Amino acid sequence: MVATVENTDVKQKDADRALIVAVTSRSVFESGADDDGDEEVYKVGTAFPLLQALQRVNERLLEENPAESLLFDVVLITTDRQQQQQSSRIISSTRHYGLEVGRFCFSSEEDFTESLLTNNVQLFLSTDAMEASQASQKGVVSAQLDQHAASCPSEQLRVLFCGDAVVRLSSSPAPASQQAPQSFSAQLGEMRQRFGLFDSPVSVVLVTSRGGRESCGTALRTLRSHGVSVDEAYCLAGAPRGPMLSLIRPHFLLSVGFSDLKE
Amino acid sequence: MSLDAVQVMSGQVKELKVPPPSNGDSRGSWEEKEEFDRDHLGLSTKPKPVTGRRARKVEGGVFFPKPENAVTVAVSSRVLFRTEREQKVFEQEGVEEYLRDQIAHEDEPFAPGPAFPFVKVKRHTDSQRHQCTDIDRVCADWLLFFDRCVLRQALETVNGRLRELYPQSEELFDIVLVTYNHAHVGIRLINTINHHNLFIERFCMTGGSSPIGYLKAWHTNLYLSADAEKVREALAEGIAAATMFMPGKQTEVSESQLRVAFDGDAVLFSDESERIFKAHGLDKFFEHERANEDTLLDHGPLKGFLEALGKLQKKFYAKGHRLDCPIRTYLVTARSAASSGIRALKTLRAWGLEIDEALFLAGAPKGPMLEKIRPHIYFDDQMFHVEGAAEVGTIAAHVPYGIAQKHNPKQKAGVGK
Repeated sequence: MVATVENTDVKQKDADRALIVAVTSRSVFESGADDDGDEEVYKVGTAFPLLQALQRVNERLLEENPAESLLFDVVLITTDRQQQQQSSRIISSTRHYGLEVGRFCFSSEEDFTESLLTNNVQLFLSTDAMEASQASQKGVVSAQLDQHAASCPSEQLRVLFCGDAVVRLSSSPAPASQQAPQSFSAQLGEMRQRFGLFDSPVSVVLVTSRGGRESCGTALRTLRSHGVSVDEAYCLAGAPRGPMLSLIRPHFLLSVGFSDLKE
Repeated sequence: MSLDAVQVMSGQVKELKVPPPSNGDSRGSWEEKEEFDRDHLGLSTKPKPVTGRRARKVEGGVFFPKPENAVTVAVSSRVLFRTEREQKVFEQEGVEEYLRDQIAHEDEPFAPGPAFPFVKVKRHTDSQRHQCTDIDRVCADWLLFFDRCVLRQALETVNGRLRELYPQSEELFDIVLVTYNHAHVGIRLINTINHHNLFIERFCMTGGSSPIGYLKAWHTNLYLSADAEKVREALAEGIAAATMFMPGKQTEVSESQLRVAFDGDAVLFSDESERIFKAHGLDKFFEHERANEDTLLDHGPLKGFLEALGKLQKKFYAKGHRLDCPIRTYLVTARSAASSGIRALKTLRAWGLEIDEALFLAGAPKGPMLEKIRPHIYFDDQMFHVEGAAEVGTIAAHVPYGIAQKHNPKQKAGVGK
């Protein structure tokens, strides 16, 4: 049974306007082998810097406009029974670190994808590739969080779009609908527009791995048609991605659009 | 001058004087073609696309060398094709408005405008591989210049020869654009590249962040920019870099052989000896060099690039092309063969680097020598020599490294080092 709990420490966002991002508890907190441990509070995990970056974006958005409703609304979700049973510890850890989590969703392996849909989640992030894949199959835009993302965290939220279809993140087939990715992109794009060129708390990066400049141009145009203006563009034309990614330091990676698969 | 002293070093160095360029085309035929071109082309605003450019495709796939295998030349573009009107927008209304303006006009390729020197490239009717265009006006951005310039075309020529001999190899020249520019102008940049048929397939638009990390990620062997600040930054990070200066009028160079010339101190070698010269004068300098003849000089910022060129040269030698190798390297130094030059040559030998010709000027001006050898590019740490090179029509690159930078670059050194 799924339990959804509001975080009373945090002011609730406007559900219609907010960009709802769900992150798994296992990504945010480091759950050791000994989950029944004496410690009340978890250690921070891979997604911790990401949450802080999302929080900073919200702060800056509200600075620009105190009545801003296009904000990140973070849902902390459990995706297995073991975590589901750790609800109080998860809640107290969240409070301990002062994380701006709007809601908690305590679900298990079987029903977490349903929870994502019920909660109108627009972006699901997990360190677990399988989970990301499952959510993606249900039509939720999902990304697997990179382990390296935490090792050299950037204060600025950095979102990476991969322009080549070959850089698919989940092995599952693309969801039939284009709506979810496009509406997410549009909102992200709108959010980015609230800030100027420099000193923005969020940056949109594009990488095309294989093709030459034409594929980069196409990706730029596609993203723009979805309402996303790109800040940094890297056209690798076959150069290895690894060294570039460690410089770019994205918090997470998304594909430009599943329509690109036809190319 | 003792030839023996010189011959102690690599067998390559045969003479002190420079033989006439072995691969030059005859002057007569050049001048004819120039006349023809002027009449034929006139002044067109749109540069003709460079046809016959070798597309980097292999059997339907796209073939780009891996950066660690290629000799990567990174070029930067400080300002993308800023016309006067655009410049006004930028200055008066700020960068945000400028970018909005860029996007509004992005289907118009960037047009060359005033500000940069003149490019004039020859038309070759016999070789279809590089048909060049006369750009009879100034270019706003040196990226366009770089594309049309003899250096880049020579890189393409060498690649052609390498591909013939080693069709599967990735050890080729590769050019990457690394720019601070914001990706908002990305579409316009790509439109412009397409329109002018520029060579760029790989690029980084860092949106304001430092490109240095990306230079390293691309395994950059040489970084060329019109911006001295960026070049200094790159040098400080151990990347071979130089600020390019375009000559007002380019001298003719070989089409079949890439020629790269280097100054010695503070370019291939460290500036340790130059420091002595500056602090204590010429005699002390000679004394010091003689005393330390057997001590290797420390390496300078462009040693690695010479090394990379040497690796490519060896590939030609391996296939029996030593005599007609399409890469030739030169050391053009104010050192003297009889004394201070020995240390330089011994150092090169100890490094396992061959240089094809070592020209010891013993303080004589470099201009006439450069005019004789006609390199596609010449690297020097002193602006005085860089300007001298540009005056004789050589593309000159300033390496802002070492003690020479702390002195007035316009200072005419009597016995210049």
